[in-house]
Amino acid sequence: MLTPLLLIPAVGAIALACWSGCSAQRARSLALATAGTTLLWTVWLFTQFDLTDPGFQMREFLPWIPQLGLNYDLGLDGLSLLMVALNSLLTWIALWSSPTTLDRPRLFYSLMLLVSAGVAGAFLAQNLLLFFLLYEVELVPLYLLVAIWGGEKKTYAATKFLLYTALSGALMLAGFLATVLLTDGLDFRYMTAMGQTLPLVAQTILLGCLVVAFGIKIPLVPFHTWLPDTYVAASTPVAMILGGVLAKLGTYGLFRFGLGMFPDAWALLAPYLAVWAAGGVLYGAVTAIAQKDIKRMVAYSSIGHMGYVLLGGAALTDLALTGAVTQMVSHGLILAILFHLVGLVEAKVGTRELDVLNGLMNPIRGLPMTSALLVLGGMASAGIPGLMGFVTEFLVFQGSYATYPIPTLLAVTGTGLTAVYFIILLNRTCFGRLDNAIAYFPKVSFTEQFPALILATLILFLGIQPNWLVKWGEPTASSMVALLLPRSVEVIAGDRAPTSPVALETPADLSHKALPIAVAGLKSLP
Amino acid sequence: MDFSALAAQLNAGAILPEGIVIITLITVLVGDLIGGRASSRWTPYLAIAGLFAAIVALVYQWDTANPIAFLGGFNSDALSVVFRGIIVLSAMITVPMSIRYVEQSGTSLAEFIVILMTATLGGMVLSGADELVTIFVALETLSISSYLLTGYMKRDPRSNEAALKYLLIGAASSAIFLYGVSLLYGLSGGQTRLSAIAAQLAADSSDAPIGLVVALVFVIAGIAFKIAAVPFHQWTPDVYEGSPTPVVAFLSVGSKAAGFALAIRLLVSVFPLVSEQWHFVFTALAILSMVLGNVVALAQTSMKRLLAYSSIAQAGFVMIGLIVGTEAGYASMVFYLLVYLFMNLGGFTCVILFSLRTGTDQISEYSGLYQKDPLLTLGLSICLLSLGGIPPLAGFFGKLYIFWAGWQAGAYGLVLVGLITSVISIYYYIRVIKMMVVKEPQEMSDSVKNYPPMRWNLPGMRPLQVSLVVALVATSLAGILSNPLFTLANDSITHTPLLKAAIAEQAAAMVSHTETVETIAIAPQ
Amino acid sequence: MIQLEYFLLLAAALFCIGIYGLVTSRNVIRVLMSIELMLNAVNLNLMAFSNYLDPASATGQVFTVFVITIAAAEASVGLAIVLSIYRNRDTVDMEQFNLLKW
Repeated sequence: MLTPLLLIPAVGAIALACWSGCSAQRARSLALATAGTTLLWTVWLFTQFDLTDPGFQMREFLPWIPQLGLNYDLGLDGLSLLMVALNSLLTWIALWSSPTTLDRPRLFYSLMLLVSAGVAGAFLAQNLLLFFLLYEVELVPLYLLVAIWGGEKKTYAATKFLLYTALSGALMLAGFLATVLLTDGLDFRYMTAMGQTLPLVAQTILLGCLVVAFGIKIPLVPFHTWLPDTYVAASTPVAMILGGVLAKLGTYGLFRFGLGMFPDAWALLAPYLAVWAAGGVLYGAVTAIAQKDIKRMVAYSSIGHMGYVLLGGAALTDLALTGAVTQMVSHGLILAILFHLVGLVEAKVGTRELDVLNGLMNPIRGLPMTSALLVLGGMASAGIPGLMGFVTEFLVFQGSYATYPIPTLLAVTGTGLTAVYFIILLNRTCFGRLDNAIAYFPKVSFTEQFPALILATLILFLGIQPNWLVKWGEPTASSMVALLLPRSVEVIAGDRAPTSPVALETPADLSHKALPIAVAGLKSLP
Repeated sequence: MDFSALAAQLNAGAILPEGIVIITLITVLVGDLIGGRASSRWTPYLAIAGLFAAIVALVYQWDTANPIAFLGGFNSDALSVVFRGIIVLSAMITVPMSIRYVEQSGTSLAEFIVILMTATLGGMVLSGADELVTIFVALETLSISSYLLTGYMKRDPRSNEAALKYLLIGAASSAIFLYGVSLLYGLSGGQTRLSAIAAQLAADSSDAPIGLVVALVFVIAGIAFKIAAVPFHQWTPDVYEGSPTPVVAFLSVGSKAAGFALAIRLLVSVFPLVSEQWHFVFTALAILSMVLGNVVALAQTSMKRLLAYSSIAQAGFVMIGLIVGTEAGYASMVFYLLVYLFMNLGGFTCVILFSLRTGTDQISEYSGLYQKDPLLTLGLSICLLSLGGIPPLAGFFGKLYIFWAGWQAGAYGLVLVGLITSVISIYYYIRVIKMMVVKEPQEMSDSVKNYPPMRWNLPGMRPLQVSLVVALVATSLAGILSNPLFTLANDSITHTPLLKAAIAEQAAAMVSHTETVETIAIAPQ
Repeated sequence: MIQLEYFLLLAAALFCIGIYGLVTSRNVIRVLMSIELMLNAVNLNLMAFSNYLDPASATGQVFTVFVITIAAAEASVGLAIVLSIYRNRDTVDMEQFNLLKW
């Protein structure tokens, strides 16, 4: 049941690559049809998903290379389901929003579908080596997507992206090999690796390795230098996929493998991770304020928003973890709409400079609809109540405040700063007086705006009715926390470390009560 | 002596594959003498058929009851069968690659094939040689034929120069190797069979004698030259750049595989007494090869030089398997060499195709190639990405297996160096792909602008196409469907008595080592 | 009777001279001769070992015959290559061979 998620896009990609006589229009339709089928399949998976079972469902297993312990092993839980859904949706939207006048359309669509297939597989993989393999698969297609269809400095950005990601892959492989071989296991099954009983020191080192590996992908602050270059150089659809889906691969990996395999070490490192996350939030926000290029600004906003995800993960309460999981989805949607609209503005107005843009809200000669959607996206990103961004950030903060009050407060300050730079962006871009001399922009057609409309509807709808999102992620998140907490407490208690790094008992109890209340409160909000 | 007993001792059936190669070689030579120029229509196909027959014969040799032949001079165990298979296969793919190339240069094709097959023969015998004289003769057969192949383009001063450099360095290194061999002969009190030498050495002394270490150093110098390990690699880039490209393809795969076969057999069987020393030396060689090969490759402008440095680096990866010395380690070597065969030969086929149409090997001339020749672009991209270890191509699985085996045996440092350098390697492979795929039409290089249309119906082009397709299919699918190859690699190790004994010994040594450590640790309490 | 060590020392000295010549010579013919010297050192070694340690089967002497034969083949190939390079370049000086980066 899960294989089609990989198979449909992969087959579509190969078909597109081989069909040499195919016109641009045909290629686009075929790609959209493929991505649409995948999306429909994902929707169908939602109907088949058993919410009462927090474990992995719809397992698929096929022996591949038993000598290496590498097997084709897929499974689905709430976290994977949401990520796969995000991937399918954003792939379709990104394909839709790609310009019709593309150079080499067949190659473009084929590579996009290939990335989609690889990412979907990575989200489903239940085998460490399989995850690594699929994680590496998207490397070269993305490199080419950025390098061929990108904007200024595209090859520089693409190479930087490639090297960073390859390095992250190498570190990850080292971490995985060490995990499995230190435990004398010859099997890279995720479930086996989860049951490891390594000494705490070894766990911490391995977790550190994985945090750096995934931290490059997310990216966390000192490893983020590839991000602004790559996001800005990438064309709109590629940037949507990069920021919306690929970055999630990092946080997904961190939660699934970092938190899932090394809960004790995670508990040990969590305070530092929380501080790190808060630092990332503030850094992203402050840097974004200083930007003059709206695409770059959106790119930096992504660093801040991924910080919330990390904060939620570090807090280790199921409310915060649920928040982190849903924040991953909401960040994906919001970033995608922002990149799409910024791309639209650039295409119509011809610039991304804050100093040049002005008064696009003008109903007659400006881009009123686009501007309105941009305002909505900015508001959602800044966490204005009633929109999706608010709900998820609120969940994260609510859950993490009990454990880490100071990092949480810092992160909340970061949200305030987010509002600041979005106000700058919106104020300069949408409001003000439109300069008559340059104000003859081409009309934005409905087709071009369609993806943004879908995304805006989702953002609005899930903001009003957050339970529809939360309910998928919540069982998995709480099962993760529930599985981990007794073990962590036991280990820490058993070690009788004189200064126990974190007191984990209280937040767990708290969150069990807090979650229904918080969700109920959210429902009554609008 | 009873004749039948002698025949049984000779066990000449063990060299049936070599015999087939020799017969084919002579037929080609005689056919060329009789038929003259016209014979070039059928000689290459005869050669391919002969090599294929040799492979079939090798398949039947798998797991023979009595592998020892010629009174202990030749060993046809599973390890030698697998390595002979790799060498024959590389020759079999090289022959179709070279037809068009040699014809275009106006030299005789049949002679080229004869020399190539002689080199193949040398490599095959070397993989199975179990005795010092046989090793030396086989090594020289391979080397001298390689010198001739390198200098095959008589009128091209670059080819001359490459051949001269290769000959001088090669002859010097084989003299050094031979000096080491002569010391071994003396130290063992007049034995030439490897197993007898090992037994004699073990009986003479329990700890590592200085003479043995000296012999080891000389022998390693010879082997490292053959597998082009840093710092014995200086000849590689020059020879690769100057020689005819099909020859480079053969040297980078066949000759290297023979070198590795020699390394495994000689080091494992003769030098267990100084195993710490040779492991140390090879660790150094592997790290140097991986680092230097990958880093220097970054700066190359010629495609052939780039592949030369890449092959140095790849040898470094393979050496990890030799160093760890476990079953998985040796098996990963065999597996990696098998996939390396296809991806490297595929890459060279593309380079040949490009240089046939444009007459250049400069990387910058590849710029914008996808516009004119998408098939070639795709082929070269797949082979280079596979060399860089990008999934789901075959090279990824090869590297994964090596790193896995290395990590399992506790060679963490080596594996980490391997991982980091393979990240570096992706950069220079992708640079070529960027040239071909990413460049805009207006940035197209002059040679690509004047790119002649593809004409597959020219004589010699069809075989080239076939070998390209074979290499490409193998490179793309050998990874995904790699289970049979894994089984083959593992079986070739487990069915080799020599390696089985060595692995068991090493495992025992490790256990006793840990036990000693434990006793020491426990003792003070 | 002379001891084995003297032969070994002589061979080692010969081998070192060969290496010295190999490294320092500029003329290709001299380089080839140096390599021959090294091979002869090996032959001396083999003969000495054969005579003192293994006089019955004399494997070392057989080995020496092989070495001499192959050295001759190597030298002839070397000279052929030198000849063709001389035709193309009119020189046998190592320093002049710089088409390929050394």
